[in-house]
Amino acid sequence: MKEQIQKAVDLVAQNCKGDDYRFDIYITDKQDTRYAQNRITQNMGGTKLNVSLEVSFGNRSASSTVNSIDEGSIKNLIETAENIAKMNQPDPEFVNSAGKVDYPEVNNVAAGTENCSMKEMVEVISKFIDNAKRKNAFISGLTTRTVVDEYLFTKNGFEGHDRSTSFSNTMTMSDNKSREVKLTKCVKDFNDFDVDKEIEVLNSRFDALTEPKMIEKGTYNVILRPQAVYNFFAFMMYFFDRRSADYKITPYHEAIGKQIFGEKFSLYSSIDDPSVTASPFSGDGIPAETIDWIRNGVLKNLFKNRSYAKKINENPNFMPNILIEGGDTDEKEMMKMVDNGLIINNFWYIRNVSTRQGEFTGLTRDGMYYFENGEIKHSVVNLRFNEIAIEVTKRILALGKAEPAMSIYGYSTMDNIRVPTMLIKDFTFVDTTTF
Amino acid sequence: MDFLSVALDHAQSLGVEYADIRIQKTSREVIYLMDLSLKNTSKNVLHGYGIRVFKNGAWGFAHSNIFTQDEVKKTVEEAVKTAGYSALINKDNPLRLAPERGYIDSYKTKVVIDPFKVSLQEKLDMMIEVNRTMLNYEKIKRAEFRLENYNDDKYFASTLGSRIHSNITYVYPMITATAVNDSDSQSRSFDDGGYAAGWEHVLKMNLLDKADSIAEQAILKLEADEPGEIRRRDLILDPGHLGLTMHESVGHPTELDRVLGWEADMAGVSFATPEKLGKYQYGSEIVNFIGDNTLSFGLATAGYDDDGVPGQKWYIIKDGILNEYGSTRDSIPFLNDGMSRGCSRATNYYDFPINRIPNLYLEPGKKPLSPQELIADTEDGIYIEGRGSFSIDQHRVNFQFGGDMFWEIKNGKKVRPLKDVLYKSSNPEFWNSCDAICDDRFWKDFGVNNCGKGQPMQSSRMTHGSSTARFKNIRVGGSK
Repeated sequence: MKEQIQKAVDLVAQNCKGDDYRFDIYITDKQDTRYAQNRITQNMGGTKLNVSLEVSFGNRSASSTVNSIDEGSIKNLIETAENIAKMNQPDPEFVNSAGKVDYPEVNNVAAGTENCSMKEMVEVISKFIDNAKRKNAFISGLTTRTVVDEYLFTKNGFEGHDRSTSFSNTMTMSDNKSREVKLTKCVKDFNDFDVDKEIEVLNSRFDALTEPKMIEKGTYNVILRPQAVYNFFAFMMYFFDRRSADYKITPYHEAIGKQIFGEKFSLYSSIDDPSVTASPFSGDGIPAETIDWIRNGVLKNLFKNRSYAKKINENPNFMPNILIEGGDTDEKEMMKMVDNGLIINNFWYIRNVSTRQGEFTGLTRDGMYYFENGEIKHSVVNLRFNEIAIEVTKRILALGKAEPAMSIYGYSTMDNIRVPTMLIKDFTFVDTTTF
Repeated sequence: MDFLSVALDHAQSLGVEYADIRIQKTSREVIYLMDLSLKNTSKNVLHGYGIRVFKNGAWGFAHSNIFTQDEVKKTVEEAVKTAGYSALINKDNPLRLAPERGYIDSYKTKVVIDPFKVSLQEKLDMMIEVNRTMLNYEKIKRAEFRLENYNDDKYFASTLGSRIHSNITYVYPMITATAVNDSDSQSRSFDDGGYAAGWEHVLKMNLLDKADSIAEQAILKLEADEPGEIRRRDLILDPGHLGLTMHESVGHPTELDRVLGWEADMAGVSFATPEKLGKYQYGSEIVNFIGDNTLSFGLATAGYDDDGVPGQKWYIIKDGILNEYGSTRDSIPFLNDGMSRGCSRATNYYDFPINRIPNLYLEPGKKPLSPQELIADTEDGIYIEGRGSFSIDQHRVNFQFGGDMFWEIKNGKKVRPLKDVLYKSSNPEFWNSCDAICDDRFWKDFGVNNCGKGQPMQSSRMTHGSSTARFKNIRVGGSK
C-alpha cells in the first residue's frame, strides 16, 4: 500500500495545476462483530479508503473525494477538484495549506491489535454470551478491531502520517424486563483487553441492580461514572469554538482568562502522557500540542481552525485527545461525603436547549442507583435532566481517578479519552420517566 | 452485471443458503456557505460492493472497492468465513430468513433537472443572495446555507434470482439565520429535509423569499418572552415539527429489530412489544400512521430494499391501534411466519443492511379543517413550527421536544411570539391527546436525512409527513 500511496502523492504533485492543494488519504481496516440477545447478528470486515483532494486557485477552492487510489481515480479526482475550484467564488476567509512543520512523535500502534484475528474476537463474544446465560440475562453489543492509517500532504510541504490501532467493546446486559447495564472499553492494544475483568465489572454492576423505584424530580447529589462524565462534557465541547464565542452565540464571549467554570474542573489535551493515544496532527495540518482548554475553572483556550485563527491573528489549535483532570477520591468515599444521592452509569440523547446559556437536556440510562449513608440501597427509575454545564462544574465536590471512556454511541477508533468519576452537588432533574 | 454473477455463483459453490451483492456508487455534492464564506464545496464519490451471505443461521458480510473477478471471489470467501465464525455462536440460537422471491426490475427517482448538471455558478448565485439577504438584518450575526445533492446508483442481485437496478436522487437545501444581542442568541431555519427529486424542487422552494422571513423570525425570537412555568396547554404542531416527533415516538418504536432487542446496546429497545399488536391504543381514533416505501418523493423509496423485498404500503397504526411493525427478512421470523415489509437498508456499499424506519406519515383528517380554523378553536395553547431540541428515552416512551418557532395562542388568536419552549410528554399520552388533524390540503412532507442507528452507526434517510394537528392538555413551558 505504501508504494501506491507514494504513487498517488507523486501523481497529485505532477498533475495538479492549482496554486495550492491539500491531499488526504485515510485508510481504515476494520472488523466489526455485532451481537444481540446472545447471538451474533452482524459480522463484517474490510478496508475502507477515503482519498480527498482540496485544490485552490488564488482564494477559490474546492474539494473532491473518492475511495480508490489507482491512477485513473487520482487523475479524475484532480480534474474534478480543479474544475469546481475554478468555477467557485472567492472565499474571503481563504487560508493557504499548512507548510512543512514538525509534528510530535506519538505511539498509537500496538501489534496485539494489528494481529488480532476474527477468531479471537468471536471468542471474546462467546465468553460474554456464556456469562449472560449463566446470569439468565441477555447480552448485546459490538466488538471492533480498527487499524487506521492517515496521510496528509500539502503543496506547501506538509507531510504527515499517523497509524493508530484500537480494540473496543461496548455491551449491555439486560434481563429484558427492568434491569439493564452497560460497560464500554477501548484499548490501544488488544492484549490489554482483560475479558475476565470486564465480565467481573459488568456482573457487579448488574448484580447491584434491583427492581427500580420511582423517585421525584428535583435536585440530587450525583456520582457520575466516567462514561456519564464523558458524554456530558463531550456535548459541551460541541460548542467550544472561538468563532461562535466571538459572535456571542455561545456562553464564552470574551471569557478566555476568566474563571467561569468551577475550580475543580480542568480539561486539557496532552501529547506527553504515553498511556493515552493522541492524533499527532489535525486534518488541516495543525501539529498536536499539550494544551489546557480549562484549567482550575479558568477558560484557557477555544478551538480555532487555521482559517479563523488567521482572521483573528492568533495561532490555530485542535484537540488531539480529551482529558479531564482526576483526583484521588474513590466511589465509596464519595458516597460517604454526602447524605444520599444517585450513582449514574450513563447519559443518553443529550441535546441542546439553549446555545447561549450552554444548557442541555438528556436522560439517565444503563443503570442508576440510589445510595444513602454510604451504601447503595436500590435502583432508580430513569430521570431527565436539564442542566447548564458551566454551573455543574461549580458544584463538583470530589473527583476520582481519570479512566478511559468511549463516545456516547459506543464506539471509538482511538484510546484517547480519560475522565474521572465526579461527585456533583444538586444536579437538576426536571422530569421522571416510566422505567 | 458480470460481477454480480461471479459473486453469487462463487457463494453458492461454497454452500451458502443465501447470498446477495450490492454494487453501489454514491455521489454527493455539498456546498456550505457561512457568512458569505465558502466553508465547503465538495464532490464525493463512493464506489464499491458489499457481499452478504447466510449460512447455518448466521450472516457474514465483507466489502471491497476493487472490481476484479479475483477480488470479488476473495470478498465472497471473507464473507463466508465471517458467517462461519458467527454460526459457532448461533448454533443453539440461529437467525432465520423470511420467504421471498426473486425480482428483475428497475427503479429511478423522477428527476426533471439533474442537480449535478446545474452549474455551480447558478447554485452559488442563489446561495450568496440568500446569505446576503439574511445578513442585511443588523441583528443577524450568522447566516448559513447548506446544499446537498445526492445520487445513489445501485445494482442488487441475490441467489433468489433478483437482478434489480435503482437510481435514487435527492436534493436538500437548508438555510439558518442566527440573531444575537447582548443577552441571547437565537436561530431560525428553513429545513424541510431532503426530497427525492431534481433541481426543479429547489427552484420551487423560493428560498430567497424565505430568507427574509427566516431572518425576521430569528430576530423576533431574540426579543420574545419565555413561556414561563410548565403547565398544561394545547399544542398545535405544524408538519415541519411533527415530522421529527413522529420519527422519534412512532417510527423508531415500531422498528421490529428494536422490538426484538437487537439495538439494546445503542439506539435502544421499544415499549411497543408484540403482545400489544392489534389492541394497544397508541393514539386517538383519528390517528392513522402509514408506512409507505412506494411514495414517489420519499427518501426511503428505492423500488426494493436491500433484502430485495419490494416497497410496500401498510398501516403501522390504524384507528389509533398498534397494527404492525416495519420489518426485514431476518427480523420478521421472530414474530411470525409472514413476509418482510421491506425495511432493510444500508447506507453505503460497505454497510450491513439493518431494519430502518420506512417513509412514515400521519394520514390527514377526513373533515375539512385548516390551521387557521384550528387556531381559532383553541383557547389556551402554543403553536410550534419546525424542529428544535429533541430528546427521547431508549424505550421510546418519555420525551422532551422543542421547536424552531413558537406562538402563544389565546382565545383563538396567535397573540405573541415565544422562545425556548419545551414540551414534555410520553407514549401513549401524546398521540392519544390528538383531537384534530387538518385535512389533506395542508398535508406536507418532511425529510429526515440523518437518522443515526446501528453499530457501527449508519446515517439513513426517510420521509415523514402530516397536516397540522392539535394535541390537548400537554405539559409545556421553559426548561425547568
